[in-house]
Amino acid sequence: MNRVDGRQKVTGAAEYGADHDPDRLAHGYLLLSTIAHGTISAMDTASARRADGVLAVYTPFEPLTLHPDPSGLSMTGQNWVPLADTQVRYRGQVIGLVVAETFEQARAAAIRVATRYDALPVAASLEAGIPGATAAPPLFGEAAVLDRLADGVASIDDALAGSDVTVSAGYSQPIKHHAALEPHSTVAAWSGDRLTVHGGTQSPTGHAQSIATSLGVDVSAVHVISPHIGGGFGGKAMTWAYAAVTAAAARDLGRPVKTVLTREQTFTIVGHRSAVRQTVALGASRDGTLTAMRHVGHAGMSTSGGIPEFSAGLFTRVLYPTPNLHAEQLVVTMDVPPCTIMRAPGEESGSFAVECALDELAEKLGMDPIDLRSRNYATVNPASQLPWSGKHLDECYRVGAARFGWSRRPRRPGTVHRGEWSVGMGMASTLLGANRFPAQVRIRLRADGAADVDCATADLGTGMWTMMTMTGAETLGIPVRRIRPRLGDSTLPFSLGVFGSSGTASVTSAVVTAAGAVTTALIEHAVTHERSPLRGLDPAEVTYREGALVYDGGRIGFGELLTVTGTDGVEATGADQGGDPATHAFHSFGAHFCEVRVNRFTGEPRLTRITTVVDAGRIINPKTARSQVIGGVTMGIGHALTEGARLEARSGRIANANLADYLIPVNADVPPVDVHFLQYPDTVFHPLGARGIGEVGTVGIAAAIANAVYNATGIRVRDLPITVDKLLG
Amino acid sequence: MRQFTYTTADDLAGALGQAGADTAYLAGGTTLVDLMKLGVLAPGRVVDINALPLRGCASDGSALVIGALERMSEVARHPAVRAGYPLVSQALLAGASPQLRNMATIGGNLLQRPRCGYYRDISTACNRRTPDTGCSAGGGENRNHAILGTGGRCVATHPSDLAVALVAVDATIRLYGRDGAREMPLADFYRLPGDTPDIETELRPGELVTAVALPKLPWVRRSTYVKVQDRAAHTFALASAAVAVELGRTGAIRQARVAVGGVATTPWRLPAVEEALRGCRLIREEVEPAAALAVAGARPLRHNGFKVTLLPRTIVRALLSLAEGVEP
Repeated sequence: MNRVDGRQKVTGAAEYGADHDPDRLAHGYLLLSTIAHGTISAMDTASARRADGVLAVYTPFEPLTLHPDPSGLSMTGQNWVPLADTQVRYRGQVIGLVVAETFEQARAAAIRVATRYDALPVAASLEAGIPGATAAPPLFGEAAVLDRLADGVASIDDALAGSDVTVSAGYSQPIKHHAALEPHSTVAAWSGDRLTVHGGTQSPTGHAQSIATSLGVDVSAVHVISPHIGGGFGGKAMTWAYAAVTAAAARDLGRPVKTVLTREQTFTIVGHRSAVRQTVALGASRDGTLTAMRHVGHAGMSTSGGIPEFSAGLFTRVLYPTPNLHAEQLVVTMDVPPCTIMRAPGEESGSFAVECALDELAEKLGMDPIDLRSRNYATVNPASQLPWSGKHLDECYRVGAARFGWSRRPRRPGTVHRGEWSVGMGMASTLLGANRFPAQVRIRLRADGAADVDCATADLGTGMWTMMTMTGAETLGIPVRRIRPRLGDSTLPFSLGVFGSSGTASVTSAVVTAAGAVTTALIEHAVTHERSPLRGLDPAEVTYREGALVYDGGRIGFGELLTVTGTDGVEATGADQGGDPATHAFHSFGAHFCEVRVNRFTGEPRLTRITTVVDAGRIINPKTARSQVIGGVTMGIGHALTEGARLEARSGRIANANLADYLIPVNADVPPVDVHFLQYPDTVFHPLGARGIGEVGTVGIAAAIANAVYNATGIRVRDLPITVDKLLG
Repeated sequence: MRQFTYTTADDLAGALGQAGADTAYLAGGTTLVDLMKLGVLAPGRVVDINALPLRGCASDGSALVIGALERMSEVARHPAVRAGYPLVSQALLAGASPQLRNMATIGGNLLQRPRCGYYRDISTACNRRTPDTGCSAGGGENRNHAILGTGGRCVATHPSDLAVALVAVDATIRLYGRDGAREMPLADFYRLPGDTPDIETELRPGELVTAVALPKLPWVRRSTYVKVQDRAAHTFALASAAVAVELGRTGAIRQARVAVGGVATTPWRLPAVEEALRGCRLIREEVEPAAALAVAGARPLRHNGFKVTLLPRTIVRALLSLAEGVEP
């Protein structure tokens, strides 16, 4: 089904956060630190204050009143309070806000603020910090270290040493940024002691809670509105410093204030995916059966807090069974901007290392990469020993290989050429946990025959408006045109938000529950209301079918019934409590296949085609799902070929903090992507049989590309991105 | 961005009359406005010259003359450019994005400021932006920087693709200032950074670029522009080569033009390579030794050593692509 908000978006009618201009609006421009570590000794704001249109300049010396969150429950991205102290934790930290009548005036005044620092030495090299690394905080239930050794095996090193064949290598990748098209923004307007905030967020309820905590007000006083989001990818899951600072300035000035981050500012104010170093060692018997696996990950962490990339996690621990496993995640804490979740946190980087290592093992064993994966096919989750609610990864390999033409893969690397290009093929697996998070949906059946479907969830551009419309229509048995969805508003029934590929599963499962509850309420209304033609019937004699109540001798649509009874509407709320039954393991699976060409003179790696087969249960809307997988694959292309912050180790400065130098893929980098869904409904996991698809496209694609580059050239690049300089031979 | 006065000019005299030390001319605005937002440029007065009669793309007998206010996209698709100077058309299409090419002018393209991240970040030291403050790129992030034409106080590459192609065909640039009109080879228009990297060209105060003139060279039909970049489009060159060859009856090169971008502080002509190519056939074994001369005297920095390998290969790739239709 087409997006229900598609027309709004292509005509520019859809309103994003920064599109709101309340009366008497003032504009904020953030001041950022220009050193990475130390303290601010002085800020001369006199000249800025005198500049045209300036209303206020807030700094640590003339601060706003903001509060920490001792509970840790609010979703603030960091461990410090903006403007509350003079400490500088990273370069590009918020150290002030200039507010003026216009954006241009605020920006012009900001340049006039002179800041002096007492600088301290900067630690910004992941490599240099590895000797001092510490255990990673547990993430999503995964402990930093997982050891599993077969009986009689003393250590993972012994297990590797005792294996017939081993491979061992290091893999690395730089910091990466979400780079959402819509920059982060806040429009904060107070009315008395109530605050309305417009601004893109993946969690309207979490955003409201974070801002309320920072301001020291009750969450009920904060109303977050975010109907459309121009991309999030995890970067809009947390609430970053600009939001509370803007809301506090609006409170102080008694005027609405809008702050929109510049592109450069998003690179440091908003968290990033950590830089990562990993080592993977695999041991196998001659037939390819894995006998040992050691995966140690080091991720960059910021002194300002955040969530580091957890590479040696799920992907390593769940996908392939091995009698001996050591998975260990460490962090290196540095004077760098905050790290946070980014599409497939952990699996994105972890899959790159593991799936490349498997390719290296296949090469050493002389096996086809698919045969090696099939040889090590898990039928129960190796970590929990639970069966999967649904796993058809073997079929993904089979179907993908046939659609792609895997049998034509060059046997020997670097042997097939087309004109001035070397050609190669690669593949990799993908895996992602299937999650459901708490969500409530309220359905209100209305006298005009329409049904409101309400939830405080968000639409990142992924299709939630459409998803709520489709599943509302499906569960109520009425046409989609009669569904009126509402989302992106913190006052709607609670949703934790959209992340972890959980949005569809969480919200639509609550839609199913809400639909059941509202039809029960409708029947109750029908048999009790004094003007109802069904009054006095036993509820058991009345059934709801396709928008109508059916009973002995009659049928009445809910719109007609509510019209007759003079009732505006009947509503009920259903909930998905989140969490999974302990009977099964729940994951989405898939396989990527790709063909690359590498210029024989100048080394440019370019993709020619990709096939991705996804096993994610029932796909509710294949049209938006296909888009989402292509988007995930595109982000993976960036992972493999173009993206990475260039962090200056000496200064902690990101040298390419703009979209001309931080290279996200353009259309010309994205080849035709053949997306195929297996469509086996998973009703153990979800009443409609759906698992998540938001991240599964991103996981593994970088390995597939790196493996294809090796197949094309014989050059194994283990340090991402795979750029020209690494392929000149 | 500093507050500024915005005025317009309808003719050359009107533009010159408004020019002063604190003035910037506005054409497409794709460089100027960008750098004003960043605080790198802060003119007190901006004179919009888009109404000046500096348009057109026409032959004046010995040259194809392109008005300075022609947009990149218009020139790229002009039949005389596409047919007669494929390397120029290709260089234009290799630069920027369609949206920028619809705005950016030929004159502005030739006057682009460097894309060095330090030049564009006013919180860092940069000799080109603020003389004698130091160069952050030398000891900083310099993967995209120059290996040729350095040695002075700046290592930023010249960002224009177009200028490389024009230098290859001996284009001249036409200027108009208080002393009247003058014309000079485009190659001479650009200055090496030396001790004064803030002075990028021979442009005099207030002087305007009015046109570029491409000499008639029928054999330049056999030419190309190859740009190596980190993604398929919309980025600056790691290395680029504008090449044209005239072939004799035997398929040997009678004369060649080779200029390169992405590697040097100015659009960089390679006369030694051109000389060595004379008599070579368009086969790898014969052109490779000539192309290798491109990096004689190259001074790689910490992150851009790969350009020493990449540049000759880019030239070879460009040359061999011209072999189409040549009898072996």
